[in-house]
Amino acid sequence: MIVGSQKPIDEIWEMVKDFKKILVFGCNTCVAICHAGGDKEAETIATLLRMRASQEGVDMQVDHTSVMRHCEPEYFDPVMDDVKKYDLILSTACGVGVNFLSDRTGIIPVYPGINTSFYGAVPEPGVFEELCAGCGDCILHMTGGICPIARCSKTLMNGPCGGTKEGKCEVSDEMDCAWYLIVERMKMLGTLEKLSEVLPPRDWSTSRDGGPRRVSMEHIRAYEEKEGEKTETAGGKKE
Amino acid sequence: MSDGSIKEKNKPHKEWAAELKEQRPYSPCRAACPVNTDVQAYVGLIAQGRYAEALEVIRSVNPIASVCSVICHHPCEQACRRCAVDEPLAVRHLKRFALEKAADYRRNKRRLVKQTRDKKIAIIGSGPSGLTAANDLADLGYGVTIYERHPVLGGMLSSAIPTYRLPRETLQEDIDDIIAKGVEARTNCEIGRDITMNEIIDKHDAILIAVGLSESRALNIPGADVPGVLLAIPFLEDAAFQKKIELGSKVLVIGGGNVAIDVARTAKRLGAGYVEMVCLESAEEMPAWKWEVDEAVEEDIAISHRWGPKAVRRDNGRITGLEVVKVLSVFDSNGRFSPTFDNDTTSFIEADTVIITIGQMTNLSFLEDSQVQVDERGRVVWDPETHMSSLRGVFVSGEVVTGPGSAIQAVASGHRSAMAMHVYLEGHEIEGVLPTYEKEPIAQLPGDVADVIHREPRMKVEHLPPETRCSSFMQFEFGYDEESALKEAGRCRGCGGGAVVDTDKCMACLTCQRICPYGAPLVTSVSEIRSEYCQACGLCAPECPGQAISMVSYDVGEVRSNMSSLVGSVDPKRQEPAVVALICSHHVGIKGFELPDNVRSVPIHCTSRVDIIDLLKAFECGADGVAVVRCPAGACKYKDIETRVSARVRRTKELIHMLGMDAGRIELLQAVSDDGNPYAVVCADFSEKVKQIVLRTGR
Repeated sequence: MIVGSQKPIDEIWEMVKDFKKILVFGCNTCVAICHAGGDKEAETIATLLRMRASQEGVDMQVDHTSVMRHCEPEYFDPVMDDVKKYDLILSTACGVGVNFLSDRTGIIPVYPGINTSFYGAVPEPGVFEELCAGCGDCILHMTGGICPIARCSKTLMNGPCGGTKEGKCEVSDEMDCAWYLIVERMKMLGTLEKLSEVLPPRDWSTSRDGGPRRVSMEHIRAYEEKEGEKTETAGGKKE
Repeated sequence: MSDGSIKEKNKPHKEWAAELKEQRPYSPCRAACPVNTDVQAYVGLIAQGRYAEALEVIRSVNPIASVCSVICHHPCEQACRRCAVDEPLAVRHLKRFALEKAADYRRNKRRLVKQTRDKKIAIIGSGPSGLTAANDLADLGYGVTIYERHPVLGGMLSSAIPTYRLPRETLQEDIDDIIAKGVEARTNCEIGRDITMNEIIDKHDAILIAVGLSESRALNIPGADVPGVLLAIPFLEDAAFQKKIELGSKVLVIGGGNVAIDVARTAKRLGAGYVEMVCLESAEEMPAWKWEVDEAVEEDIAISHRWGPKAVRRDNGRITGLEVVKVLSVFDSNGRFSPTFDNDTTSFIEADTVIITIGQMTNLSFLEDSQVQVDERGRVVWDPETHMSSLRGVFVSGEVVTGPGSAIQAVASGHRSAMAMHVYLEGHEIEGVLPTYEKEPIAQLPGDVADVIHREPRMKVEHLPPETRCSSFMQFEFGYDEESALKEAGRCRGCGGGAVVDTDKCMACLTCQRICPYGAPLVTSVSEIRSEYCQACGLCAPECPGQAISMVSYDVGEVRSNMSSLVGSVDPKRQEPAVVALICSHHVGIKGFELPDNVRSVPIHCTSRVDIIDLLKAFECGADGVAVVRCPAGACKYKDIETRVSARVRRTKELIHMLGMDAGRIELLQAVSDDGNPYAVVCADFSEKVKQIVLRTGR
């Protein structure tokens, strides 16, 4: 899932202080699970902003609401009429949600309430770890299920580098060296010899280097066209 | 101030919870109650000191609540899931406590109900069933007349049940409620003697026969005739109406049921030196409730088990005793009453008075000239689906048709018959519309949950000592004082009052499953909080990132929504800081909260329910300091809540610090002990610290 974390209230305040009517708009999927931007956190941020406004002697209305996801139009369509009554929408969705919503709110700005951090897992409650970088060309079958793109500080394809020390990365003592983990894991799997295979240079065009990415699934799109009238009225129109 | 949410408001919490409870299995106490009294709800209200509201819950289904508060056989307690932990909740004692505390409120609420319907209803008999029907029909706007052969209303409650169990002023509270509604009572009026059944039928649009089982069965053995042999009901009636009764010094009561116990204990109080009961059954088989047997034994009443009466022996007409024969078995292999005897083994029990208490029957002779049919075995012909007799418009309810039972069972029958009469008078079909009271209960407490529930002994009530109580008909059982009642109410595990998930909001994040100390939530595509596991502590709701969890027994948002008016009541020109204290009230209820004037308390049933947003809200509303006050060490009735509550307080400290406020303005405190006023001490200390912070940093 996408992991985010709340922005400091000072930073949010600087963004929003000149607006009179603000909606803190939560997203109840990934960022709710990581306790950054779900309904509860949206209410918490709204409360903090009201308190700050009161401290600053600023007359400001701050409300909150949330929907299940900001990244699919059907979810926020039912509340769009209410949402558009505000001067500013502070979205606590991930960057995807902020972008997506912003495309659909016309003259009303949508600002980010959280920092979108990474794709991660939840090894234990309250802990989130980056495990994937979304590079678009997965090689986990060749690296013992451990991603060097996401988990090596240098994104090396031929690690470990000289900065590895007792299994840790030179960036931080608390950071595992991904290549150390890869070697140990592949030893255990009995596939270490795979690492001696020479691979062609990696094509980074599937990642950020190729510009913004888009996946278009023709078989699903065909279905959507049949149901075209439904999506047409489901808040999916850009403004 | 708005709560800042633009989502549509749900319906009021009370309404929402009531509807939800109907859709889900009942708490076992409620399911076991013949009228489905919502025990969990009223016990919860008692625990919060909300006695008038508790009374409303009780009275909404039970018009003879005061009677039940002293004599009910409390099937709710037998069903209580605390039985799997230690002892059941003392529901009956709590009911009595609530009724006593809310007595003034109740009396002030008595009102005449306007007759809005022109139909007249007669109710024959004023026992639990007749009184209930009168109550319900008066509420519906009918003109109701009760016909009672005794000089007072109540049926067996006033004419047979001894006052040491049911004081007449207790019964009168219930009767006064009903009569105040405008029900006409014609006492000293026996059908067939003072007025004929046909006259009653002519004068009314609907009639209810609720005459109960008012006659004792006699015993057909040699010597069992007067003098010296008495029957239970006339004996109890004479005692109830304080008529003179000739008793010998050795009284023998034949029978092993609850009435036999009443008879024996009454005989003792009338001065019989020695009272013995003889019954067919063993101690385990005796139909009397165990607690009543125990109380009788305390009063020095002897019980001879497994002897059957054979003959009353006399000498010159005076009774010398009872010849008895050994019982081999009481019930057949199908559990039916079918005693067998060993005729070779006999014994003799000395006595000079014998009282026969082997069961009751009805007297329907008043129906003889009417068209209401009575079958060959002397039972009134009726349809249990409609409560109607063979004559349209004439209905029956209570023991006269259901057979012997409890007062509260008769109340259930009374409700059904009142509904039947109403539906009939409205011209509709009765079949299928009457309430059944058959509800599925929440499953038994899983063993692993029972193992982790804090043991708390049941609060005992005091009884008059046996040597004192046998010398009068004074009520022998005392009620709870407030402290005991609140402690006892705190033992309730809140079955059915726990957490529920709004599946539209749940994103299956596992938070509730990870956090619950009792393993109640099970997250698949959404979370399901299993009510047989849930202990209603409320720990999960404030943790849910989607705010998808509600509690049935309270509104999770109420602390927030009430905060503005609470803090707003502090004088703005105050010298002292305004402090909000969210206080666990489980162990002291509303007692002991003599807090400093500047501290506004929010009693909560456990600090587990405190949400970060509640705490922020207090500051938003103008509080200078906020305290979360836990109960004293070792007193918490829930498991493992400390870590989460202190984490929430720490997080709130971080958040207010981000706003430039001193983190010391919020603290998690713990009351110092369970005695005296432990909450005030820690609150006063905290208030002083907040005062220093305010002096240093401003409001």
